[in-house]
Amino acid sequence: MRQAGGIMRMAAGAMCALGVLLASCAPRTPPEAMTPSPEPQYGGELNVATVYATLSALSWDPADWVWKQNHDTGAVRELLLSADLSKARSRGGPHAFTMDVFVPRDALRGELAESWEWEDPLTLVMRLRRGVFFPEKPGLMKRRELDAEDVVYSFDYVRASPRAQPTMMGFLDRVEARDSHTVVFHLRDYNNEWDYRLGYGYYNAILPREMAGADARDWRNVTGTGPFSVSRYVSASVQTYAANRDYWDSEEIAQKTYRLPFVDSVNYRIIKDEATLLSALRTGKLDIAEIVRWINVPQLKETTPELQWNRWLAPQGTLIALRVDRPPLDNRLVRRALNIAVNKQEIVRVYYGGEAEVMAFPQLPDFGPYFQPLGEMPASVQELFVYDPEKARQLLAEAGLPDGFELNIQVCSCTSDQMDLLPLIVSYWEKIGVRARIQPMEYAAFLSAMTTRTHAEAYIMNTGHVTPLSSLRKNFQTGQVWNPSQWSDPDFDRRIDEAFRMRNEADTIAAVRSMTAEIIDKAPYVWLPTPYLYTAWWPWVRNYGGEVRAGAVRPGPIYARIWIDHDMKRRMGFE
Amino acid sequence: MSITTTPATSPTSPRPVAAFIGRLIRTKPLGAVGGAVFLLFLFCGVFADLLAPYDLNDTDMARRLVGPGAAHLFGTDHLGRDVFSRILIGGQVSMIVAVSAATFATLISILIGVSSGYFGGPYDMVTQRAVDAWMTFPDLVLLIVVIAIIGPGMGQIVLVLGLLYGIGGSRIVRSAVIAMRSSMYVTAARSSGASDLYILWRHILPNIMPVVLVLFTTRVGAVILAEAGLSFLGLGVPPPAPTWGGMLSGSGRTYMYLGPWLALAPGLCLSVVVYAINVFGDALRDLLDPRMRGAR
Amino acid sequence: MRDYVLRRFLALVPTLIFASLIVFFAIRSIPGDIIDQMLAQNDLGSGQDRQTIEAALGLDKPVHEQYVRWLLSAVQGDLGSSLWTNTSVSSLIAERLPVTFELGLLALMVSISLAIPIGIYSAIRQDTMGDYLARSFSIIMLSIPGFWLGTLVMVFPSVWWRWSPELEYVGFFEDPLRNLSHMLPPAILLGLSLSAVTMRMTRTMMLEVLRQDYIRTARAKGLRESVVILRHALRNSLIPVVTLIGLQAPLLIGGAVVMEQIFAIPGMGLLLLEAVAQRDYPIISGIFLVVGLAVLLINLVVDLSYGFLDPRVRRQ
Repeated sequence: MRQAGGIMRMAAGAMCALGVLLASCAPRTPPEAMTPSPEPQYGGELNVATVYATLSALSWDPADWVWKQNHDTGAVRELLLSADLSKARSRGGPHAFTMDVFVPRDALRGELAESWEWEDPLTLVMRLRRGVFFPEKPGLMKRRELDAEDVVYSFDYVRASPRAQPTMMGFLDRVEARDSHTVVFHLRDYNNEWDYRLGYGYYNAILPREMAGADARDWRNVTGTGPFSVSRYVSASVQTYAANRDYWDSEEIAQKTYRLPFVDSVNYRIIKDEATLLSALRTGKLDIAEIVRWINVPQLKETTPELQWNRWLAPQGTLIALRVDRPPLDNRLVRRALNIAVNKQEIVRVYYGGEAEVMAFPQLPDFGPYFQPLGEMPASVQELFVYDPEKARQLLAEAGLPDGFELNIQVCSCTSDQMDLLPLIVSYWEKIGVRARIQPMEYAAFLSAMTTRTHAEAYIMNTGHVTPLSSLRKNFQTGQVWNPSQWSDPDFDRRIDEAFRMRNEADTIAAVRSMTAEIIDKAPYVWLPTPYLYTAWWPWVRNYGGEVRAGAVRPGPIYARIWIDHDMKRRMGFE
Repeated sequence: MSITTTPATSPTSPRPVAAFIGRLIRTKPLGAVGGAVFLLFLFCGVFADLLAPYDLNDTDMARRLVGPGAAHLFGTDHLGRDVFSRILIGGQVSMIVAVSAATFATLISILIGVSSGYFGGPYDMVTQRAVDAWMTFPDLVLLIVVIAIIGPGMGQIVLVLGLLYGIGGSRIVRSAVIAMRSSMYVTAARSSGASDLYILWRHILPNIMPVVLVLFTTRVGAVILAEAGLSFLGLGVPPPAPTWGGMLSGSGRTYMYLGPWLALAPGLCLSVVVYAINVFGDALRDLLDPRMRGAR
Repeated sequence: MRDYVLRRFLALVPTLIFASLIVFFAIRSIPGDIIDQMLAQNDLGSGQDRQTIEAALGLDKPVHEQYVRWLLSAVQGDLGSSLWTNTSVSSLIAERLPVTFELGLLALMVSISLAIPIGIYSAIRQDTMGDYLARSFSIIMLSIPGFWLGTLVMVFPSVWWRWSPELEYVGFFEDPLRNLSHMLPPAILLGLSLSAVTMRMTRTMMLEVLRQDYIRTARAKGLRESVVILRHALRNSLIPVVTLIGLQAPLLIGGAVVMEQIFAIPGMGLLLLEAVAQRDYPIISGIFLVVGLAVLLINLVVDLSYGFLDPRVRRQ
């Protein structure tokens, strides 16, 4: 028996030795080759494995209300508002621009809107930028300047769709064009997330009114005022965006102004397999890999030391939803016990190798003042994040369950991270007498269980943060699709709706903070740590620091500002 | 009046079995080794619970990704679980899935193949068209759709793989039955008024046993590989039950650098068992019926 | 002969209808339908939303009515459109089928070019060390899971030599070199495991043929060994090749999902996998119909060719 172990050890050792030997044959770049060129260069092809590298485009038609729209068309179609990338950390500013949706007020910039003001509490007037053009599109339209009618058309088109989400822009009554460059939004109700919901959100792309007669679902008809156009689409393989040399925007670098975009084309590479993606990165077939899991980072740093890195917190919470409509989970003590029984610090330290935060949901640290650090939270909230199986058992006893209880927990077999994590959590729970039965489900069945509310008592899932207030609404308001814990508190609902109407941001911040602390304390979910993600890119990718989104799932403006240092790339042997 | 007959190559009576094994060892040593290896793994699988030094889900984050050594024969995985124990239990799961699916498949093959081949006529035609329809689709494609319908799970995988290989293998059984149907013995039995059931039981079944046996052995190997492929696509036997395929395609691939033993152990076991069983099946086929060498 | 072909053709139709019927009903009974997925993107999904979307997609009608509608248009060549992207199913399939076909064809070519010579050699030198080695090699190739070999090929060269196979699919006639650099690595891996099967078939066939009377006669006539082999035996080795094509027809048309995933090949396998995950019913039905039809046709051609190749069959 021991000999078997010895043989195994020898084999593993031999493999490692062989690996090291062969790896040492790998070409290495001399540091001098990596000297950056002083001036931005135009041209070239940018190959990106985006954060959604495993997914093809779901739809090109805004009327389909598909969440991924801005990701696929956001480099072609522009919005009224977007993120001010000059405030990015890589350019000396305070913002990371790695959140999935939220753009803080001080990082906001008018994209197609030049300025805006409130005429009265329910009337928002936006003035459009001048000199912005839709390029010529044979069969669709001639080159012409953007005007207010296009904005009106875009909003009406999207809101009239049978698949529209009524609550997204429900506070908007109507949009009208006052003159060729003035758009007026008449609101039914004030909503302090108007900048997200009307400006930089999922469903605010500005289309030309000529789209009224065209097939909006054909990728060939996708056009906009943006820095790129869709030039090629091979589903499950690549999406190519070619530069629009008539684009209106420019970037100032070292006191000089440059027309955008720099590169000739951007390729979104669709790669379903992680090992393949990493190989492509290593060999320079990918210039940027927007998501690299932390497990792969040390090895990548070893084989490819030239890569540049950025670390960012995943803008999504990992949670176990506990159905508060099913005893004994209706008892707050039981839910708190389930939280306290999980050793979250150990998960951070050992399972994620230290690359995670214990608490980052429902507010994200990047939300700025909306986020209250754990250390400043009330004691009863902090208690939920301290491992104490004894106390957990006590709480269960208090709740009348001294011998524990059984429950089913559903997980999607598609997320390997959660499939791996779950046995660990189950073993923590076993120590306090809670016996959990793991039920893996296939992706669509898993999602469907949630939307039809037929899911099990416990349901482990990921969900995006969106914005500070919408995060509370989405996850905790009665009847919401993404509220699988079935949390229902009419008072809480009312306070959320009230918070949307607050005009003074300080008030909103205070409301969000107090509601967040309250809901974490009530523990409708088991709050699990949020891991860090890494973005990797080759050094010839310039004017870039790992920014991921400049609006709701929208990377377009970021790619427009990247230039490829061809000289460096050539010296490094990749061109 | 009964006519009993045992064709010369049937291994169904006791004394020829011993002689058969002797012949196997003498003339097909590789095949014999293959068979022995497979039996060894089967044995380990059956007694896995006794042999495993640690519990299957004994997580200990302090000992994660430890290399093979005295305390842990095959090292530990990313959750600190003993890989050797997981290999043993995984072997048990893989063996159960493989043997049950192969048995189920063989039974289906016999059922369809014998009935179709023996009775012939319109029943045969319809059945063969149905089998045709089934076989037009690539294995994995069918599996994906069916698993999506019935969900992942050990029982479901056995059912699906059994059905898949069973229907596919029925063709082979059917051609063997057709060959048997027109043999001397059967014609004689029929003309003396023996019932269909009797003929099936006494003549057909014993004579197709060689085919069936070889079919069974190849199916075991095929199922193990198919389950590995399904695990890769995320549709295999779900945790906490470990399978070799699952371990190889999951943590084996993720931790390829940090812990190569996570892939080496299940990968080797998988390949060795499939290899052994294939080699054994080959030897069996060569020995039992020289006429059968062309069959798959 | 013509009757036989006609009968087989006619038999195709009920087979396909039967299969498509089962698929149509089965996928709609999978837990988790497409509306649920679309609703899960919404902030608030109420009963009203569900019905509007269903009506917009044509899913509110009874299933059998949907099926008849689908069948009637399919017969006229219209396989419907994707429920998500509205792309026509036939255009999607037309895009992906050549890719899969090319992969399958290359794999077959690799497997045949390996298997035939090795199989013949194995038969001639039966039970020698060479025979054992050849057979062992082919069984080893069978025993290693495809995804593992694929991973090794994809990962280790990138670590050691900064080389990885091409990532992007480019049509063969557009840029043959790039196309092959993308398709050859997975084709070789597929071919290697296929070759095991073909090799055994070739070997068996050769062994049988070598024992035939007419070979003995040829030898007795004083013909050289090589001539005997080349002329008589080789011709008969076409049979396992053709058999292989028939057996692997599903692979040629339906795709090798595992290789497609690892080597980023936009083939039919991945199309189906994605369609099942997204519950895109028209695509699923369309794929099954096209694959079924193509495979059945290929099998028909294979069966017919037996008549020309194998004199024993011809006599029947």
